[in-house]
Amino acid sequence: MDECQSAIPAHDGDLHVVAAAHHIVKALGTTKNLSDDLRKILIDLDAHLSLITSNIDSKGGKGFVEVEERLKRVERKIVIWESDRIMIWDSGPKEASDYLEAVDEVQTLIDSLRGLSMNENQKQKELLHRASSLLQMAMSRLEEELIHMLVKHKQQSEPTYIPSPSSQRNVVYNESVVSLDNESAKEASSKNSCSDECGEYIVDLVPEHVIPDIKSIAKVMFASDYGQEFCEAFIGVRKEALEQHFDILENGKLSIEDLLKMEWCSLSTEMNKWTWSMKIIFGVYLMSEKRLCDQVLGEFGSVNSFCFLEIAKTTILCLLNFGEAIAMGPQEPEKLLRLLDMYETLADLVIDIDALFSEDGGSFVRLEFHKLLEGLADSVKAAFNAFGVAVSSNGSLYPFPGGGVHPLSKYVMNYISMFPEYCSTLNLLLEDQHSDVASLVSEPQCGPTASLSTSCPMACHLRSITSSLESNLHKKSKLYKDEALQHIFLMNNLHYMVQKVKGSELRPFFGDEWIRKHNAKFQQHEMNYERVTWSSVVLLLKDDNPGSSSLSKSAFKEKCKGFSIAFEEVYKNQTSWCIPDPQLREDLRISTSLKVVHAYRTFLGRNPAHVDDKCIKHAVEDVEKLLFDLFEGSPRSLRNSRRMMKT
Amino acid sequence: MPATDYQASFLGRISIRRNQVIAMDGNHEQELQDLELFSKHVSERFAELLSSPDDIPCHALLSISWLRKLLDFFLCCEAEFKGVLMMGNDPSQISKPPLDRLIPEFLDRSVKALDVCNAVTNGLESVRHYQKLAEIVVSALEQKPIGDGQSRRAKKALTSLMSAMNVDDKECSAAKATERSWSFSRRGVSSKDRVPEHFRSVSNQVAKNWSAAKQIQAMTNNLVPPRGAEGSGLASPVYTMSVIMVFVMWALVAAIPCQERNGLSAIHFPAPKQLNWAQSIIGLHEKIGEEWKKKEKKGTAGLLDEMQKMEKLGNILMDFTDSFQFHGDITDQKAEEAAARSVELAETCRRMEEGLLPLQIQIREVFHRIVKTRTELLNALDQVGKSSPPLL
Repeated sequence: MDECQSAIPAHDGDLHVVAAAHHIVKALGTTKNLSDDLRKILIDLDAHLSLITSNIDSKGGKGFVEVEERLKRVERKIVIWESDRIMIWDSGPKEASDYLEAVDEVQTLIDSLRGLSMNENQKQKELLHRASSLLQMAMSRLEEELIHMLVKHKQQSEPTYIPSPSSQRNVVYNESVVSLDNESAKEASSKNSCSDECGEYIVDLVPEHVIPDIKSIAKVMFASDYGQEFCEAFIGVRKEALEQHFDILENGKLSIEDLLKMEWCSLSTEMNKWTWSMKIIFGVYLMSEKRLCDQVLGEFGSVNSFCFLEIAKTTILCLLNFGEAIAMGPQEPEKLLRLLDMYETLADLVIDIDALFSEDGGSFVRLEFHKLLEGLADSVKAAFNAFGVAVSSNGSLYPFPGGGVHPLSKYVMNYISMFPEYCSTLNLLLEDQHSDVASLVSEPQCGPTASLSTSCPMACHLRSITSSLESNLHKKSKLYKDEALQHIFLMNNLHYMVQKVKGSELRPFFGDEWIRKHNAKFQQHEMNYERVTWSSVVLLLKDDNPGSSSLSKSAFKEKCKGFSIAFEEVYKNQTSWCIPDPQLREDLRISTSLKVVHAYRTFLGRNPAHVDDKCIKHAVEDVEKLLFDLFEGSPRSLRNSRRMMKT
Repeated sequence: MPATDYQASFLGRISIRRNQVIAMDGNHEQELQDLELFSKHVSERFAELLSSPDDIPCHALLSISWLRKLLDFFLCCEAEFKGVLMMGNDPSQISKPPLDRLIPEFLDRSVKALDVCNAVTNGLESVRHYQKLAEIVVSALEQKPIGDGQSRRAKKALTSLMSAMNVDDKECSAAKATERSWSFSRRGVSSKDRVPEHFRSVSNQVAKNWSAAKQIQAMTNNLVPPRGAEGSGLASPVYTMSVIMVFVMWALVAAIPCQERNGLSAIHFPAPKQLNWAQSIIGLHEKIGEEWKKKEKKGTAGLLDEMQKMEKLGNILMDFTDSFQFHGDITDQKAEEAAARSVELAETCRRMEEGLLPLQIQIREVFHRIVKTRTELLNALDQVGKSSPPLL
């Protein structure tokens, strides 16, 4: 077109050439089976040639008659829609393409009129103004059509699934170090189970069939130099659509001040929502938005990335600010898993973010998210350390009743059993602190010969945490006055630790050596318990005089009485003690039974003459049975139970 | 260092007035010098901002480049402040009276400032939108000759621009208003000049009831100049820095569209005139406060110099387009005038194009700096808390 415009004939003699060319063009235009592009070129050429003709004519005073005619024709096509209540694109494809064609024609006329030298020709000036007015009217209309189209199809383009954050909301880790029971810890840690489903998931934000329409409007608006208007309208609607999606994700609009003051329970929910929103906003919506921008604006150069950035920016800033607020908050141990979720989510998305905002204007966004990732990494480390400190410094004033499994053990073991899910992240983040911890944890696994899983940074940190836990438990065991109960307590807790390690993903990180060692430890406490509790009792039944065949009646009576009192005392105490693990309880009873019942039976068997009901308070069978009441956690006394047994 | 040492220097600090020569060792002398230097720099910097010539557009009060300078100075003051506060060789001071009270208050203020930074960053997005609309006006009016089409195009963009800029703060947050105007079809509105469509809302990033004015008001809570012996110690830089922080946030909020700014000019900060460094800040506060009062009545988007210019030029050009449509044509003189204004508008747009993104990035920098200092102060408090026995 530009080339045509420059070729305006200077001499009347050229008129013949122009007329001939015009003739040919018109003839060509009647050909059927022309491609659209070619037809358009011919139409443009036709318009231009007729203008040249009229320009030359105008010297004769006739003026731009043909141009005016064409303008009038096209004016009717455009103005008619101004009074119509229906949108053009809603009326049908024919109407739409006619309208676009009319706009094209206006643009052609304008270009041609502009292309002619302005030799103070009033008529030409007037026509140009009229055409520009018409163009403005059409552009304004197209903008309206565009907005209507985008808004109309916006709702239908909701992706078929909207994640319900409610399933996440139950997953709240709202307990602190001491008061956590088994169940809630398990629940708390269930990692966003849907994390894999929504990786990159591009949806049609605008139905596929509407894209060509939007594109056709873009094309004609850009061609008429109304690209700015197109962009503003496009950005306006799309930005709002994105913000609506963001609102659906129920992100509370919270100030940093609010977030820093927030209770852990609510904060945890918000952290979950953030993790989820990041995945949805970046992984789904922004990816899709980028594709939409590419589809619509791909051929218009840098406006594409400009529009995308404008659409995305406020939503992104919102997500960014939440992340910053979390990264700057105090890093309490209970935050660790949520922080890990946040870190992992962002770490996974960083490549996408870099790709989405690869242009210069987006470097700001890229940089901020990289900064945030670092901040979250520091937070994870801080929370991890805080967890370690909390485990070793958790103190108690009173002994834990019954000597059972302490809540701290449950909390710690359940909590760390979630760590393997975050293994690679933790290994990465704990790497630099690794050597310190590795040297602290004296397990042989940390040596060069150890297998990979037991020597990785996370494994060493895990063992360092459990060894803190062990020393803390030792401290706690000292609160019991009864030495036997100290052993029961340690046995229970060590056994619990071993069971947790064996029955979870933790096993490879601790290794068989650790398990063996800790099995030995709790068995040692088991033996110590037996020694402390029963050795003195059994000793009472011992033959003082191994030479003589049997005891005197009074000595026998004395011994029986001593045994009964000691046994009843143990019974009274230890029925209130607790061994929660049934297997462990059973084992201990059996081994106690073997020792005590055997000694008692032997004792009675050596003195058959004295055996009668009066002396013997407890029959061998009774003792055997009574032993089974121990460690049930419900205190009993023999003064009642004996009578009951006799009846 | 054993705890008794801390105790000794603490006592020394109390008696500083009575027994200055005796109580002061080399460190304190150094510290006093640092304090003096700090307030000297503060007063120099703000004097420069106050004396910035209004007639040169790129130096005008509350212009983009002026704000960038303000933020630059903030960052410098902040760095020096941290130096004075933390590089001293007695870190335990921050946990002793009066700092044990002043530092947490300072940190509280910092957190509030962070929210202001975010609100302002968000507000800059609106300014960017104004710029884009103004650019359309420029595109329309730089065409030669200007006809009805160009005039209508300019008018449409101007109408959007002016109404966007005149949305009061409350409406700013009511993002839904725009959605409504899009949702129902405007077909049937017979007027040739339809309501402008490319009107973009300020999305509210924070809760609906968040108020920039209240936030800044809250930052001035407990902000009182140190008295008596405190005046010569570390209480004074904490106070100085607090005033600077409040002032900077206040100026940003006054300049840039922000959620809920009613009563901004009524915010008073207790900076006594006799303090040297405070004079320029008070001067600036008064000057900007006056401007704000004038503007507050009109319900304007903000005092940003470029925006005010845009508003002024916008009004003139609006008149121009109106008379164009009324008369069908215009005199050459008017056309020349309009062309000149549109060149001015183009220049304003150019300054925005150049300055807005760097300003936004700088606000982020201020944000990150405040976070960093807060973290360092918290860590320092934590360390001191661990290493020294609690003061009884």
